[in-house]
Amino acid sequence: MTELAIAHPAAGSLAQSATRLLRRGGLMAAVVLYTLYSALPFFWVGTMSVRTTSEISAAHFAWPETFHWDKFRTAWVDSNFAQYFWNSTVVVASAVAIVTLLGAAAAHCLARYNFRGNRLVYFILFSSIVFPPQIILISLFQVLVEYDLYNSRLGLTIVYVSLQLPLTVYLLEGFFARIPQDLFDAAKMDGYSDFEIFWRIVIPVGMPAIATTVILNFIQLWNEFLFAVVLLSDQESRTLPLGIRAYMGDYFQDIGMIATGMMIAVIPVVVLYAFFSEKLIQGMTAGAVK
Amino acid sequence: MAAVHLENIYKRYKGTPQPAVEDVSLAVQDGEFMVLLGPSGCGKSTTLRMIAGLESISDGRLAIDGRVVNDVPAKDRDIAMVFQSYALYPHMTVADNLAFGLRRRKVPSAEIDARVRSAADVLGLGALLARKPYALSGGQRQRVALGRAIVREPKAFLFDEPLSNLDAALRVRTRNELVRLHKQLGATMIYVTHDQVEAMTMGQRICVMNNGRVAQVGEPLEVYRRPADAFVARFLGNPPMNVLKAAVERRDGRPGARLGGGWLPLSRWDAAALPPADVLVGMRPEELQLQAPDAAGPVLRGAVVGVEPLGAETLLLVELDGGAGEVTARVHRDVRTRPGDRVGLGVPEAATYLFDAVTEKAIAAREVQP
Repeated sequence: MTELAIAHPAAGSLAQSATRLLRRGGLMAAVVLYTLYSALPFFWVGTMSVRTTSEISAAHFAWPETFHWDKFRTAWVDSNFAQYFWNSTVVVASAVAIVTLLGAAAAHCLARYNFRGNRLVYFILFSSIVFPPQIILISLFQVLVEYDLYNSRLGLTIVYVSLQLPLTVYLLEGFFARIPQDLFDAAKMDGYSDFEIFWRIVIPVGMPAIATTVILNFIQLWNEFLFAVVLLSDQESRTLPLGIRAYMGDYFQDIGMIATGMMIAVIPVVVLYAFFSEKLIQGMTAGAVK
Repeated sequence: MAAVHLENIYKRYKGTPQPAVEDVSLAVQDGEFMVLLGPSGCGKSTTLRMIAGLESISDGRLAIDGRVVNDVPAKDRDIAMVFQSYALYPHMTVADNLAFGLRRRKVPSAEIDARVRSAADVLGLGALLARKPYALSGGQRQRVALGRAIVREPKAFLFDEPLSNLDAALRVRTRNELVRLHKQLGATMIYVTHDQVEAMTMGQRICVMNNGRVAQVGEPLEVYRRPADAFVARFLGNPPMNVLKAAVERRDGRPGARLGGGWLPLSRWDAAALPPADVLVGMRPEELQLQAPDAAGPVLRGAVVGVEPLGAETLLLVELDGGAGEVTARVHRDVRTRPGDRVGLGVPEAATYLFDAVTEKAIAAREVQP
């Protein structure tokens, strides 16, 4: 019966639903195209990661005839990826932890306390986002050598913290400034000190924004290559991007192993994103809708 | 419970010459419900925040329970505050919101539970304890904010316009609940509002503030009947009191006030107390009596310029003859007048108020006004 009813709508509403269908179809097509655009290269690297370099040379886009899963073992054990993975994890996890705590504390102070020079500090921090990080590379190298931090995971961690701190403070300050002052006053009346308020009110209320910065910083630093390649030289301290780089010789590039290395490197990012993507979107759109 | 004493309190902000709060002295008795009333920007919220310890005191003495607390931080004053925005912690459940202040004070957890339950019972929040604030209605949030103050069993409660975000019906109900709660707890409460109806109905005493200063302190009806100055007279009452400039003029040896074409006798005042030239005359809209334009006696005449039928009553806006100004009169709902009609407004002598034309201070009449 309902189908019958739909089969005889007024001419106007028919045209309307046709337009809607067309618009929705167009949108769908755009989404599908974009998904293909970003997923296909990833899928291609995925297939290459289980093919040998000679197989890839023979047919670039072919489906793997045999799945060489042992390449992952080779990379992990023989090519020292276990070490690189561990290095990346230690450096990135500690840098992200420090940058989050430090950034949140700084952002809270800048957003909440009216001290002399507040905006100056903010301006200096913000202006450092504008400059390309490459311009400090050489002087940074000198400084690290001077302080015996060259070629160490600690040195790279410190550099990563300072690299990501401005953007983190900037993002969190904007969010924290929108937390109503009454909330702080209420907590004060409830007997809490400034630090307890930061810990028990600002951090949990600001969690969507904090999660966003955690994910952005993690992805950024996990894939970071430039500073790592300049500031690390020992095989023992290499991070994953440098490990992948090691498959590139002057005359020969082991495309198959590069793809395998990339798949190993990308897994944590995918996992993190899968778990936190909802929080990420929440954080990025927070405040947009009241 | 505690008395709160403010002595010559000042609040000055950097870069502004005029103090936000100026020479405020006020004694709130133990267990009293005191309302700070005034228009926005009059310094009432600042005064409340100074009592709370959320603003520093520039000058003067603040004592709670006999102890000077000027330099005691908010967290150590043992005072609870209910905010206009409710300020519920969004990441905590209702139960956690209620318990948050007690946990900080290291109250044993069994007692926290008991106090939370009892406050929830008093406020009808029992079924909502596991909910987060976003899942509550405005009225429920307001009650949680109230509950958060109650569980603390503080020395005094401070309210900063707690009802202004509620709709009209809920506001009336909550008003009554608050009065009941005050009776039940017997607690000292200081309540800030710009709503004179809240002040009149809730306060045991009200403190009217204007431009950072205390204009008048007293029981609601007393302040209504004997306003200390023209500001208080205009601020209390809806519609507000008509206050018009008049010239002091004797007729047949009797003192009176000339308002454009009209003349009102001022026999309740000593001739010596009357200023030589101008004076402000106040008349409450409900005390003006609608009469024919040619009626005899102390009558102001004019033309109706506006009619507002409110259902229970009708408000007439009348432009007085001789450019004396506009007055509002509250008349019976059945009165049929149209803009342009000429009317007379009888002014009973007992219903006139006089204020100094310069200082706007009330000029006291000889006998007690009704």
